[in-house]
Amino acid sequence: MTPMIDCVFQLITFFMLVINFESTQADERVKLPDSEIARPPKVKREDEVTINMGFIRNKDGSKRVQEPLVFLQGEDIPVPQMMPRIKKDLQLYRLEHPDMGKSINTTVKIRSDSEVPIGKVQELIKLYQEAGYDKFALQAMEKTEE
Amino acid sequence: MRRKREALPMPKPDMTPMIDCVFQLMIFFMLTLKIVAAEGNFDINMPIGMDAGGTPADQQPLKVRLVADQAGNLASVQLGQRNLGNDERAFAQLNSEVLRAIGGQPGNQLAKEMEVEIDADYNLHYTHVISTISACMGRYDERTQQVIRYIEKIKFAPPRRPAG
Repeated sequence: MTPMIDCVFQLITFFMLVINFESTQADERVKLPDSEIARPPKVKREDEVTINMGFIRNKDGSKRVQEPLVFLQGEDIPVPQMMPRIKKDLQLYRLEHPDMGKSINTTVKIRSDSEVPIGKVQELIKLYQEAGYDKFALQAMEKTEE
Repeated sequence: MRRKREALPMPKPDMTPMIDCVFQLMIFFMLTLKIVAAEGNFDINMPIGMDAGGTPADQQPLKVRLVADQAGNLASVQLGQRNLGNDERAFAQLNSEVLRAIGGQPGNQLAKEMEVEIDADYNLHYTHVISTISACMGRYDERTQQVIRYIEKIKFAPPRRPAG
């Protein structure tokens, strides 16, 4: 019995070490572009909000709807309709952080699909700017050596 | 006379509940494991035509214009008035032009102050903008396996809304 238990504990340790709960914020529908020099920040950000943006696709990969959508938990919202949601989230955030003052120290991390028009990404950034955010990060996949 | 107590064999602990538990844990970790490629990011402060901060007034940003075709693919990369093309060589050339603009020495004061303004067509695919940002911000040195940073400040020109 002992060798089996040893083995199973080794496996559990392996899974515990490689599991990454943070990746749960990533939406699988978003196919990020890759970049050779994209690297995670050296210092972990104090606070960040992840925004997934992409298309609803058919099984063959074709776009079901041409309009890119912002994927939030259980909701897919077109960019022009995002403002009420941003304000609502900000209100909740202020309630949780009553001492935050006027400035928002949150970085908006944008995970956008490769094929999303940059104009839509810029519009989304603009909406967040109007709400008071000023730190943004564009996500890309780290290109690995072939 | 006291009888000598016989040594009883030690009872073996019942391992079944622990093994059950451990298997449950293992199955949980196996199911929740998601193998994803590592992601990186490019920080952008105060975008949409606003100054990224700290750029001297007499120093104009390097202007990179990205032209898209109707499908959103890259038609051309322009640095100032120069057309660099629309393929990998265009990004390589852009990379060397940025290096030249910072005096060929990454990490110097000029590199810290230099800013690049990206002016892209509205319908251009996001992937081309990421390629442009990558080309402007630095390069991957295969020898040292390190990223050499050229510039840090990137900003966007206001979005070019399509007519109508």
